[in-house]
Amino acid sequence: MGLRKATEPQGLRRIEPRDYARDSDGLIEQLKDPDPSIRRWAARDLSAQPQACAALCQHLLHEKDGSVREVVFTTLGCIGGTPVVDGVLPLLRSEDANLRNSAIELLAGLPDAVGPRIDTLLADPDPDVRIFTVNLLGDLKHPNLVRWLAQVLHDDAHVNVVAAALEVIAEVGATDALPAVQLARQRFTGDPFIEFAADLAVQRIEAA
Amino acid sequence: MKTATVERPTITEADFEKFREFFYRKTGIQFDISKRYFVDKRLVERIDATRSDNFRNYFIKLRFEADGAEMQQLVNLMTVNETYFFRESYQFDCMVNHMLDELADQRRPGSRIRIWSIPSSTGEEPYSIAIYLLERWKRLDDFEVEILSSDIDTTVLDSARRGVYSARSVANLPRNYLAKYFKQTLDGDWQISRDLVDAVEFSRVNLSEQADTRRFRDIDLIFCRNLLIYFDDLSRRLAAEAMYDALRPGGFVCLGHSESMSRISSLFHVRRFPDAMVYQKPLEDKR
Repeated sequence: MGLRKATEPQGLRRIEPRDYARDSDGLIEQLKDPDPSIRRWAARDLSAQPQACAALCQHLLHEKDGSVREVVFTTLGCIGGTPVVDGVLPLLRSEDANLRNSAIELLAGLPDAVGPRIDTLLADPDPDVRIFTVNLLGDLKHPNLVRWLAQVLHDDAHVNVVAAALEVIAEVGATDALPAVQLARQRFTGDPFIEFAADLAVQRIEAA
Repeated sequence: MKTATVERPTITEADFEKFREFFYRKTGIQFDISKRYFVDKRLVERIDATRSDNFRNYFIKLRFEADGAEMQQLVNLMTVNETYFFRESYQFDCMVNHMLDELADQRRPGSRIRIWSIPSSTGEEPYSIAIYLLERWKRLDDFEVEILSSDIDTTVLDSARRGVYSARSVANLPRNYLAKYFKQTLDGDWQISRDLVDAVEFSRVNLSEQADTRRFRDIDLIFCRNLLIYFDDLSRRLAAEAMYDALRPGGFVCLGHSESMSRISSLFHVRRFPDAMVYQKPLEDKR
């Protein structure tokens, strides 16, 4: 006993013959397996199968195991592109906060694909979707970021959406957004939180 | 004659506050005010290198650049990538005082316990683990312990297999351990014993590459310290998921002191031991 040199196959497991086909259809089928570890491995291996995007997005709607869900999101992040964005955007309407936050995190990592969808999202009739979109903007590296935030500060009628945008703009600190910040303050005169958030944003932007 | 002067970028207090908040959110690394000079110096260096002229332009670049290359450069500059024997040894104390005993209590005597150290760098960490086990874990003789160690860089792996270290690298080792496990070379370096070299299985692995990591299974304890800070968000999640699937249920992960698994993944439970806080794969996950 004591220290022992790891030798194959004990230390590093050899790749063994599979019980299931590891092609796209086989892996998608395994997403239905009752064993979460089989579903998790299937989701990991699907990262090399972009055609599985729709099945993975659909699977998120009923997957209850957090570890499998997390791997599905990572796999979708690896696949990337417009189909992933379009498959994940409906999750912004989910009542499940974990699912929604994971969707925002994933979308923030796909700036090129999500960019063309932002205008539509900011015009959504549901203010919660607009707030989640602003939350997404807070983590999105995109050249139109300031324009989108200014648009919210300028036009959005819902106080909570504007408050969320003020928080993000305070961090981004772009001086070209100052007029929009001032306008938002005027639009919501008398609302103590908006006045506080707007003043803080101006202070931070000017200090930068 | 009038001499042209080049104005150096300056970092104001507001800049520093804004930067440290941003950097903490992105990396989990927190700089307090005592690190102001260290941070300012490196920020100015990157402002010059990227020809950004001032902090504001540089910060916008940092925040908006889609590929994150500049953020990576800055992370590399802001982290001290130094390794030596018995570095952050409180986690090795935790290993021999708590984690291994907990794992051993669930096994039959004679069974195998696997420890994976990644990145191996030039070998100081896996060899420190080996020395700790030999010197400070009383139950070592009751189990077969395997130490696997991996790195993406084949040059450092070669160096780890050679096992020759500078005086600075071994400065933290107790003198009796140095005498027992090393021999001084003619040029003043220290050659680790062949027994220790032979006890560690080194391999090249990219932790965010599935094809590399899927061979690693049934691991009980992973040391993955000061590596994930160099990864982008997606790579960190891939690495966390690879570690999760490499571990047995109940297995542990030790990260560097500035790293937090909770910021990367919700797969693991936090375990607080007297010596260290570590992360654990839930016991109920059956493969």
